[in-house]
Amino acid sequence: MVKHSVGTPSMMLGKWIIAGMLLACSTGAWAEASDKLWPVVKEAFFANRTIEEVPFIQLAGPRRAESGAQVPVTLTVNQSQSPAAIKNVYIIVDANPIQLAATYHLTELLGNLQLSTRIRMETDSFVRAIGETADGKLYMSTIQIRAAGGCGGSVDGDEAAIRAASGKIKLNVENPVKFGQATPATFIIKHPMYTGLQRDLVSQGFRPAFYIQKAAFTYNNQPVMSVDFGVGTSEDPYLRFDFTPAAPGTLEVHAEDNEGAKFSQQLDVKNAS
Amino acid sequence: MWRFLQGLILLALVPYAQASALTLTEVSPGVYVHQGVHEDLSEGYHGDICNISVVIGKNGVAVIDTGGNLKVGQALHDAIRQLTTLPILYVINTHVHPDHVFGNAAFIADHPQFIGHAKLADALERRRDAYIRSNEQWQGQDFAGSEIVKPTLPVSDALEIDLGGRQLALKAYPPAHTSTDLTVYDTLSQTLWTGDLLFIERTPSLDGDIKGWLNAITQLKQVPAARAIPGHGPVSSNWKSALNDEQRYLQTLLDDVRASIKKGEVMEKAMDTAASSEKGKWALFDIVNRRNVNILYPALEWE
Repeated sequence: MVKHSVGTPSMMLGKWIIAGMLLACSTGAWAEASDKLWPVVKEAFFANRTIEEVPFIQLAGPRRAESGAQVPVTLTVNQSQSPAAIKNVYIIVDANPIQLAATYHLTELLGNLQLSTRIRMETDSFVRAIGETADGKLYMSTIQIRAAGGCGGSVDGDEAAIRAASGKIKLNVENPVKFGQATPATFIIKHPMYTGLQRDLVSQGFRPAFYIQKAAFTYNNQPVMSVDFGVGTSEDPYLRFDFTPAAPGTLEVHAEDNEGAKFSQQLDVKNAS
Repeated sequence: MWRFLQGLILLALVPYAQASALTLTEVSPGVYVHQGVHEDLSEGYHGDICNISVVIGKNGVAVIDTGGNLKVGQALHDAIRQLTTLPILYVINTHVHPDHVFGNAAFIADHPQFIGHAKLADALERRRDAYIRSNEQWQGQDFAGSEIVKPTLPVSDALEIDLGGRQLALKAYPPAHTSTDLTVYDTLSQTLWTGDLLFIERTPSLDGDIKGWLNAITQLKQVPAARAIPGHGPVSSNWKSALNDEQRYLQTLLDDVRASIKKGEVMEKAMDTAASSEKGKWALFDIVNRRNVNILYPALEWE
């Protein structure tokens, strides 16, 4: 289990306002990603804890994101080189108004983690993957990505239709499956992932946050991975990750949004016929 | 050394020189166009990349798009006053994008009707913060005073306006280049303003619905225009051929991204390969095409 939890939402709110003020102070001329944010963000999420930059966690992404709304990033954790198994990985975007994009809770079925996802980026920022061991040690990989406008951005379209379609899941594995070996699985769930920071003309204010909060994957009822999503994860959350099925069985996902709606899907993983 | 310094001084003056004067070229009696330059919306963007037009009737003036900052809008206003003292009756925005709308504020004192697609006000509001922040970042001081001015006269389907002896027919489209596309047709001069439903030279950029855009292209081909003024690129009498080029690019992009998804290729790979047969045929291709794939791929995963 998580020994040290990260900040509560209300506490995070206060902290991201501080970060926002720092950001506002640093604009003016064209700015590269600001390194002034991290000390504040770090204390908000990991107060008084040491974080070591290491090579066995690797985050990869574009140097310049083409679209701030859907920035593809890939995370790898070479568990065999870690002093102890990494149990949780936090994805943090320093310059986003809400910095924690997602938390991944890992299991042995993932082997060496290989995971791709898509995140939102409000502006140029350092992006961090922070791994946590069972005894609370923290290890980090940091990259810099230039991007614009992914968080306040627009979800155009008919509200009723968007809500009706939300929760639809696509779950696949790459065939043919070789049992006992790393197998790529792809998960996408239809959801607008409203950030709570998007303006709305109808309400004359901000559209309330509405997002997928959690997705838990099992294989033959054994936990594979669970994910706590934040609104820093892109619209229609996407995950591609390797897991190791020992034998034919059922891959299952249970997801939930912040309004309590539950969605699930299962997939039979079979021998090539 | 002195020549080097002279060069530096000249270099420093260039942005101001660009912002202060705006050239309007008459393409047909009473129809004037200022052609923007091809810069990406990124650092190095100076707010003057889209085409801006002025149409003059017996009673007044219509402006079609206002550029990307207040300075460009003011320069446009000055240029119009060199041509006529007639009142500016209408300021039309062809869609939501910041390079087309942020000169609007220069016309507030004229009290025109601001005209846009019925969805424009909402789209501008949703994008307000992101647009202002990124434009301040890209343009710095040049963006000072620029603000969002929403339509006072929304068009949900079609609208005709009269400039005195000259009627402009406005038409709103379902989501295509954006979800706020509007075209203008002047029967007198047989001139069609496509907004960004037509790009000439510059890579078409997608921010709406590619299938809707392909439908809009088919519809536009029916317009009996002698010339078209695209959102970007030169005024063209050969505009149907330009529409064909754009249609070919968009169809290739759509086909390639679909094929990529079907093969199970990841988005990052598709960004490297989709529509690569079009490379070399368009300006800013590497930047804009990759962005198009980045936007299109996640949408097509649900087909």
